[in-house]
Amino acid sequence: MSRQFLTGHEVVVQACIDAGATHMFGYPITPGTEILSGWIKRAQEDRSLQYLQTEDEIAAGFCVAGAVMAGAKAFTATAGPGTVLMQDAMSMSDGMRLPFVVIVGQRGGPSSGTVIYSQQEVNLAIRGGNGEGMRIVFSPSTVEELYRLTRRAFNVAWQYRFPTVVLTDGYLLKTKQDVSLDFVGGNVGAEPLVSEKTQKNIRNIYTFEEELYEELMKQKEDFDAMAKDVVESEFYCGNEVESKKYKVESCDELIISHGIVAAAARDAVDQLRSQGKNVGLFRPITLSPFPKEELNEIVRNVKKIWIVESSMGQLRDLVKQNIDFTDFEKIPQVDGLYKPAVGIETEEIVNLFV
Amino acid sequence: MSKDSKFCPGCGQPIILQTLYRILQEQKSEEKAVLGLDIGCALLAWDFLPINTFQTHHGRVTATMVGFKRGRPDSLSFAYTGDGGAYAIGLQSLMWAAMRNDPITVIVANNSVYGMTGGQTAPTTMKGQVTDTSPHGGELDPMTGPELLRSINKKAYLARTAVNEIQNVKMYLTRAIETQRQGNFSLVEVLSFCPTNWRVKGPAMIEFLNNMKEPFKMGEF
Amino acid sequence: MILKILLSGDGGQGIQLIADMICRVSFEAGWHVTSIPNYGLEQRGGVSLNFIQISDKKIVYPKFSKPDVLLIMSSQARERTEEYQKDSKDIKILDIKEIEDNLKKNNVSMQSYNVFCLGMITKILEEKNICKKEDVFTLIEKKLSTKLGWEENKRVWGFSILN
Repeated sequence: MSRQFLTGHEVVVQACIDAGATHMFGYPITPGTEILSGWIKRAQEDRSLQYLQTEDEIAAGFCVAGAVMAGAKAFTATAGPGTVLMQDAMSMSDGMRLPFVVIVGQRGGPSSGTVIYSQQEVNLAIRGGNGEGMRIVFSPSTVEELYRLTRRAFNVAWQYRFPTVVLTDGYLLKTKQDVSLDFVGGNVGAEPLVSEKTQKNIRNIYTFEEELYEELMKQKEDFDAMAKDVVESEFYCGNEVESKKYKVESCDELIISHGIVAAAARDAVDQLRSQGKNVGLFRPITLSPFPKEELNEIVRNVKKIWIVESSMGQLRDLVKQNIDFTDFEKIPQVDGLYKPAVGIETEEIVNLFV
Repeated sequence: MSKDSKFCPGCGQPIILQTLYRILQEQKSEEKAVLGLDIGCALLAWDFLPINTFQTHHGRVTATMVGFKRGRPDSLSFAYTGDGGAYAIGLQSLMWAAMRNDPITVIVANNSVYGMTGGQTAPTTMKGQVTDTSPHGGELDPMTGPELLRSINKKAYLARTAVNEIQNVKMYLTRAIETQRQGNFSLVEVLSFCPTNWRVKGPAMIEFLNNMKEPFKMGEF
Repeated sequence: MILKILLSGDGGQGIQLIADMICRVSFEAGWHVTSIPNYGLEQRGGVSLNFIQISDKKIVYPKFSKPDVLLIMSSQARERTEEYQKDSKDIKILDIKEIEDNLKKNNVSMQSYNVFCLGMITKILEEKNICKKEDVFTLIEKKLSTKLGWEENKRVWGFSILN
């Protein structure tokens, strides 16, 4: 695998091309713009790559929805207020089980916030629709992982037909780094939902409450079945621990973080362990479906949890929802470092343990 | 040809849809056709015709069919919508589809009210027309879609007719489909009955429709 | 070995350009490199930063709060990086304020300040055996030789590297 020196934006574009994507619909918004402009640049060399800069994010989303129904591997990229507008098309994709792929570059919020960085779009990514949040949401931690998870996003979206979000941020997209892009396995093909061979009438609105209820219960069943294959997490305590051995490994204090903050936390764990502190890191790689079993295996054996995130507690809420103890006395103390819309550096995390 | 209609008795929409289907049959193009549906009474068409159909969101059918057509350029892509979906919440996407000359056909059923929600003011509500949300009568001149789009797309096929002029409905839709085949944007607005929300019956319904032809000019633009 | 460099200046002073050159040369020399820019909303005139790390080990997190080298190219940048100037005994601070008189005496045009600063950082990179000054020059030549002011840039580069 050859070394390259690439930005997160460039890596996303490469991943989409390597995943077999053919259509991008988008609207410029920092820090997602360079994905659109980067895709368009590549499209000048490769005429099979199609693109449209739409009139707004709403149209970008619905163009993606239309294109995927036609059987094209289409995607969009957005950020912040654009992620808000994107909920319209994402909600339709929730309802109609469309393989909708979006790369979200989180930026500060609410409102126009900052154009720089944040981890405040977790709730939007998972539960931004008027439904139950049955979406697949990946949170990459490094530029190389951004590549792997973007490719994986297309595969899981087309295999399981749930809207899929690669939830990244302005820092990771703007980081330029030496990378070796690697992906195990091939691409899942794109089948049209309607074609000349079908005669389908597809709906997203129901006459009776019971009809929708039935549809949702079926979706939930599919979502849970999918979760077994798709859920991903990492436990790090100096060494990476395989998920089936989470139970046997343990640490006294556990940091939980996701995305780029987890990269800083990983460095912090190395430093803390070299000082003799028994600290570990649990990192959900899929925020939805959430690695609930894996979390509970580890949490059972720790004394204290530190949530570290660039938000006031969107990850904390997810963690708390997923701690699943019948024995309440065993629930460890939960503390955290919550810094909405600003970066968190290794030293700050290390300092939590002084 | 179709299942039981879910449209109200006297509704004009089945006339438009059946005319469209007849053209597709005559052209043996049923399999190529895909009918995207806006939300509003248009959604009731979801299982009305034996062709591929899908519902979208309110105001979003045009953008969805722009994406569909780009995903499958050899399809005949139809965006079927009411006046609210076309000219209020969906106007931005409609205008841009026309600006870009996206080769899709938009069919607008204009009945001057929001039908599905019970007859509120629409962008096509006429001056003086009383609705739940304009109890003193409409204050504005109604939106005239084909005329508006004419100024931004010279190649588009743009026309308006009414459900009681069925030969024109057929002729205009045929020309719109031909325009799509040639790679250009088309829109046909059809004035349509809404006896339920107009709160009229029989001859009064025809009279209401014919009165609409005053602010809404018939013909090709 | 890990070297952390924070570059700061006004937008338009060429901070991102010299960051790109430092990273490119170090990358070509086989080092692990990360670079992350940071600037405000303004297309021009705000403070422009770039956080660079060069390491013999894979780098996980691209930002840092304790640079080894801090370049300050403007008074706005000095203010913005105040936080990073604490514990200054561990940091090598290259501040334009300290050298501006010398630059003026030698008729260095303001457009070439960034090349001068790149020269100063190149000396540090060479000391640390990260890359050779010739490699940096080759890259500058490739990127700038067809642009306006190349003769001046070349003169400033020589002046910077020799001083």
